[in-house]
Amino acid sequence: MEDPAEPPLPGPTAVEQSATLEAEPNQNADPETEESEDVDVSAQSADIVPDEANGNNGNNGTDCSGEFVVTMLARSNLEEQAVGTEGTSSPLSEDIAEEAPPLQSHRDEDVMAESWRQHRKHVFVLSEAGKPIYSRYGSEEALSSTMGVMMALVSFVQSGDNMIRSVYSEEHTVVFLQKGPLVLVCVSNSRQSEQQLRAELLYVYYQIISMLTQASIARIFEHKKNYDLRRLLAGSEKILDGLLNLVDWDPSFLLAAVHCLPLPSSLRDSLSQTLQKAITPNLVFSILIAKNQLVTIVQEKTVIEDARLEPADVHLLLNLIGASSAFQAGEIWTPICLPLFNPDCYFYAYISYLDPPECTVCLLLLSTDKEAFYAVAECKRRIEEAMVAQNSLSLIAKAQSYSVSQVGVSDLRHFMYKPFDVPDNHHQLTQFTSPEMEAPYSSDEEKMRLLDLYRYMHSRIHSSSRPLKLIYHVAERETLLAWVTSKFELYTCFSPLVTKACAITAITKLLRWIKKEEDRLFIRYPPKYSTTPNPSKSSRKSEQQDSTDNGFMSLL
Amino acid sequence: MPEVSKMKKPDVKVVILGDTSVGKTSLLHRYTERKFRDTISTVGGAFYLKQWGPYNISIWDTAGREQFHGLGSMYCRGAAAIILTYDVTNWQSLAEIEERFLSLTDTANNDCIYAIVGNKADLTDPQAQLTVATDGLTDDQGEGGEQRMKLQVPPACPTPPASPASPSSLLKQVGHDEATALYGRILRYKGLDEKSSLPADRMCFETSAKTGYNVDALFETLFDLVLPSILRKRNENQWSPTVDLEDYREANGKRRGCC
Ligand SMILES: Nc1nc2c(ncn2[C@@H]2O[C@H](COP(=O)(O)OP(=O)(O)O)[C@@H](O)[C@H]2O)c(=O)[nH]1
Ligand SMILES: [Mg+2]
Repeated sequence: MEDPAEPPLPGPTAVEQSATLEAEPNQNADPETEESEDVDVSAQSADIVPDEANGNNGNNGTDCSGEFVVTMLARSNLEEQAVGTEGTSSPLSEDIAEEAPPLQSHRDEDVMAESWRQHRKHVFVLSEAGKPIYSRYGSEEALSSTMGVMMALVSFVQSGDNMIRSVYSEEHTVVFLQKGPLVLVCVSNSRQSEQQLRAELLYVYYQIISMLTQASIARIFEHKKNYDLRRLLAGSEKILDGLLNLVDWDPSFLLAAVHCLPLPSSLRDSLSQTLQKAITPNLVFSILIAKNQLVTIVQEKTVIEDARLEPADVHLLLNLIGASSAFQAGEIWTPICLPLFNPDCYFYAYISYLDPPECTVCLLLLSTDKEAFYAVAECKRRIEEAMVAQNSLSLIAKAQSYSVSQVGVSDLRHFMYKPFDVPDNHHQLTQFTSPEMEAPYSSDEEKMRLLDLYRYMHSRIHSSSRPLKLIYHVAERETLLAWVTSKFELYTCFSPLVTKACAITAITKLLRWIKKEEDRLFIRYPPKYSTTPNPSKSSRKSEQQDSTDNGFMSLL
Repeated sequence: MPEVSKMKKPDVKVVILGDTSVGKTSLLHRYTERKFRDTISTVGGAFYLKQWGPYNISIWDTAGREQFHGLGSMYCRGAAAIILTYDVTNWQSLAEIEERFLSLTDTANNDCIYAIVGNKADLTDPQAQLTVATDGLTDDQGEGGEQRMKLQVPPACPTPPASPASPSSLLKQVGHDEATALYGRILRYKGLDEKSSLPADRMCFETSAKTGYNVDALFETLFDLVLPSILRKRNENQWSPTVDLEDYREANGKRRGCC
């Protein structure tokens, strides 16, 4: 997916960029203490930019696209100085980058008058024709002038047979993602890697697909190139806002894994069985959610053979539920596409809370039959009844995220553990487990700081040019260790004074503890049910035609 | 909405249609929860059961994109009343009723009644700016802590038309006459005789979900009007689990009505 960068001459600008990127997460760390197996800071700044830009860093050469980028971005007030990037994976620049002091304070914000520019992460969606579709912090100006400029940028680079992928300035990373007729742009000063930002844009794209389907969007724009998609998304902005908020705060998105509510396995099993018993034809997924975390997922048998539910689809569903929770006494029946399952077809989702007015326990039933509302609602009644009989709601209410102190390792402050070796993993949802964020990560600010550190570690581990297996990173106020093996991916955060040896011992203990607790921490053996009389024709294809017969063309 | 009602068989179905953002969810919220609050966008359709006296009225709140998703006919199937909603400050929203929503009502009952509702009247009509007292109509007991809209007009803009922000959007774009004219056209579309149908004056409302203006009147009028269908339906099928369920719930002790 990532194109490797052309190795160009390391220009001074490039070096600075690397340093800038390194500066934030590593701000006060002594470079000596960073013992990565490999260090490749510049990988993040290496990127594709039109070939013609080679040898120019944007300060001269009027016809280079770097210059174009500068001009356009400056004109749009996006950033005072954006420079066209060259990929810089040369060892020379790397060394210099390592030793460069934390870069110039990027806080001279008085130049940037409008507050929207200071947002950590802007996201724009526009059509290929340049029509605005969504802006995270949308003011009308933002929509009109900035989007126009973005589009000009994209089409400029497209005309040269080069897809623009990203632009770096000292403070901002601008990442572009084109998906079909949609162009998604992220302008971020969060110091995340391009890969991460692109993955986030992909979630935004998927959320749009989940509401409209890929096929419909393609057909709409085939039919009318400058269609204003806001007509169809009107009212859904909050769903995208909610998604971007989750992306910033919930590491599930970073890890592409689902966080499930820790629960005694006997309770989880009995809840699964309850779901398993309350079925109706064309029901394909029954999902129970509590406190925004997964309790259990039960799938139709033939569906599970075909495919499993992808974490991203679950994330979209969870976000949808969060976004529709305002008026909780009702039962929702909505078409929803699960883009990773099948981007072109709809499921019909029944969403209802089981514990109003608290509304923390939510039932989600997915059917392939759009008329099935009353039948599916009846399943909910049965589930509700069974749960009342078993007193499940109060048992679920007792379930909580756990404290890291339960692990019993003194210097360990927090961790995220994503196993690859859950039994039957191939047919199961990728999951991760993580304790509550506790002091010193109680304030939003500190939480975000820890999340940023994790994102930084993640970007190093998953660097497209130099992936690492193990990183020991001494930051100013904590020490982090990230480790990826064939069996798991682990991120740990320790108090700053921990030694490397201590950290390793601690991790051994942690892994042992997780092993012991895994029945509680993960969904292990979800049951299946069978509702489809004709197994060969499971939902995968059956909906295919659905979006065509609904007359949306008349909307154009 | 009381949890108690969850398992009851609905006696009658009411559907709220109209463009996104005209205030459908807010109207329903105002009526059932007695509050105005920034609602979150409606996803698909939302099904509510409202207990009205001894009757259970099911209400579908919709998102406004039904034509695209093709679910509109499902929401409207067998409806006894349909509320076609527009925003008085937005002429297009009235036009959309005819262009996009009317055809969805084809699956409604033959004797379905239609109400045309112009919401956000508080933005254009001083009369609609007065907060409506919320007592009396709900049967809820413990509402002491309920925060009502204190005063509907934010101090920043004493009278909406004077607001510097976007004065034009606050001008009334749809008059009562246009709504009644639309009502006439709907009757014609349905092949109904104007003389034997409910009069436009009675079926065209201007409301404010924000202040509560005319909201109860709207729902109560409709419920009164669908009462005959309710009774007919009850006669047709005698089955009514209401009493049993009530006992069942009470025995469980856990649930309390919350609305
Ligand atoms: N001033 C005013 N605003 C309203 C009124 N009703 C709804 N709104 C606002 O209009 C927007 C859309 O309301 P909503 O109920 O979500 O519309 P829906 O999409 O038709 O369900 C929200 O920001 C509401 O706060 C009203 O009576 N007066
Ligand atoms: Mg709504």
